[in-house]
Amino acid sequence: MVRYLIRRLPSALAVLALASVLIFLLIRLVPGDPATTLAGPGAPPQALAELRSELGLEGSLPSQYLSWVGSVVTLDFGRSFVIGGDIGTLIAEGLGNTLVLAGAALAIALVLSLLAGLAAVILDSRWLNAVLAAFSTAGLALPTFVTGPVLILVLAVLLPVFPAGGTPPGGPFEEPGATLEFLILPAICLGLPVAAALSRFLTESLRTQMRQPYVMTARALGIPRRRIVVTQVLRNALPAAMTALGIQVGYLLGGAVLVETIFAWPGLGQLIAKAIGGRDYPLVQVLLLLSVVVFVAIQLATDLIHAYLDPRVRLGGRSG
Amino acid sequence: MSGALAAAAAPRRPSQARAALLRGQGLVGLVLVGIVVLAGLLAPVLAPYGPNEQLADGNLLESTAGHLLGTDEVSRDVLSRLLYGIRVDLLVIFIAVPIGAAIGSLVGLLASTWGFADVIAQRTFDLILAFPALILAITLATIMGPGVVTVSVVIIAAEIPIFGRLVRTSVLSVRELPYVEASTVVGASRWWVLRRHVLPNSLESLTVQLAVSMSVAVFVEGAMSFLGIGVRPPTPSLGTLINDGMRNIYVAKVQVVGPLVAVVMLVLGFLLISQSLGKARRG
Repeated sequence: MVRYLIRRLPSALAVLALASVLIFLLIRLVPGDPATTLAGPGAPPQALAELRSELGLEGSLPSQYLSWVGSVVTLDFGRSFVIGGDIGTLIAEGLGNTLVLAGAALAIALVLSLLAGLAAVILDSRWLNAVLAAFSTAGLALPTFVTGPVLILVLAVLLPVFPAGGTPPGGPFEEPGATLEFLILPAICLGLPVAAALSRFLTESLRTQMRQPYVMTARALGIPRRRIVVTQVLRNALPAAMTALGIQVGYLLGGAVLVETIFAWPGLGQLIAKAIGGRDYPLVQVLLLLSVVVFVAIQLATDLIHAYLDPRVRLGGRSG
Repeated sequence: MSGALAAAAAPRRPSQARAALLRGQGLVGLVLVGIVVLAGLLAPVLAPYGPNEQLADGNLLESTAGHLLGTDEVSRDVLSRLLYGIRVDLLVIFIAVPIGAAIGSLVGLLASTWGFADVIAQRTFDLILAFPALILAITLATIMGPGVVTVSVVIIAAEIPIFGRLVRTSVLSVRELPYVEASTVVGASRWWVLRRHVLPNSLESLTVQLAVSMSVAVFVEGAMSFLGIGVRPPTPSLGTLINDGMRNIYVAKVQVVGPLVAVVMLVLGFLLISQSLGKARRG
């Protein structure tokens, strides 16, 4: 395992290093002087010079890069010029809200896929299987910018059950009960594709287990189908579905960007949309780098789990 | 042995894929996509008004006889905007995706022939694929500014490694087939093998991927326009129209319905097409 990690680590670090260089160059590639863009036309030269030094635009490119990486690694992100406030604080707030949303979506996805998988195997009715297959295909295929508006149109506008978006006046952590109402629609929207993917994996894994000889033995002993599934088959089918879950966690964080914009949920996704809209380049840079770090970490973790489960990957020479 | 040889010597003809498209799932997909494509192409004929024409009939109307999908906040006819908006998506679907596919396939084909180029191409593909499309989109949009061109560049950049890998894999697998080895033995040139054997064999997996990529293009356009880094107003596109409709959802509910239906038709249509092609391929 450790040997596999050592072999895999350099390429992950290379991707990170290259991404950091590209993201660092971003602010320099933008047409026009970023300091002038931020300060606005007619800013006094002294203010411009101050801004330029605060943006880290002074000195040679390599030294600029090193000081930027140094400040990011020590979590000293500087301040946001457009939205206002310390970038670290903005990110911490957004991250909390994003995690709440992603967690709720994951919980919904787990419950839905477990129910769908169990129902498909226990009832094993042709009609139900067709309906479940149609739902999972639709859930996987339809983008969140379609399912989100449909949810809002039906459950917030036509039948005013839930709020269309946003958070309660005091912020998402003030009153958990009120927040729940605001959380349900975005969480369903974000969780639906994950539920669709997970239920596919779980159903497939459950079906594979159902063909095993031990199930036939249990059936021959007269144990009801439902009990075999719940007490034996489910436990054996879960590990394979767990690997699929790892991949889905990456999707949850990426998908949150869009879902938060649709439902005006104040998480990292909305922060990044605001930063792009306001041309707040320092904030865009930090958020991009952060998402690359998270993405590379998730990829590495998925590879490690895969290697742990499959010795051919761990020991093999060529990995495709 | 003779059976294996026969199977290897008879690559399936593309007519099978064509037949799959003209029945069942494939036909439904083709019809769904076809309707949207026709609506977009015939926009100048079908649309009652211009896409940016401000009318005197009042703003934020619900569905009326004169305006089936209502009007938006500056009194533009939403149906006309929808028909013209489809054109932007047709542009990214039928121009950006094929460009990315062609460049990717060419790079994959050439790279598989020269070892050194292969290493460079593989590493570059790894790097592009290491980034989620959304991060790529945000980065490019920050540099280039929002717009249709940026959306197209993001789609092309995302498709190149996908098609590059696909072609490379099929080149490597086809090269090992007995009848290809046989043709090399009797003196076929490298170019002949590529054109005569590799290309027809990879064509089927390429068309399946093409259908998948086209539905991804709809997704990328919508997502980028929604985040404000895609198509810029006043140009209508499916993504911007959904965004506009959401803004007015409490006053003119019908506004958001049109673009939603169009996106669903495109995405499901391409999905059905790719599934039927995939099934035909597996036989």
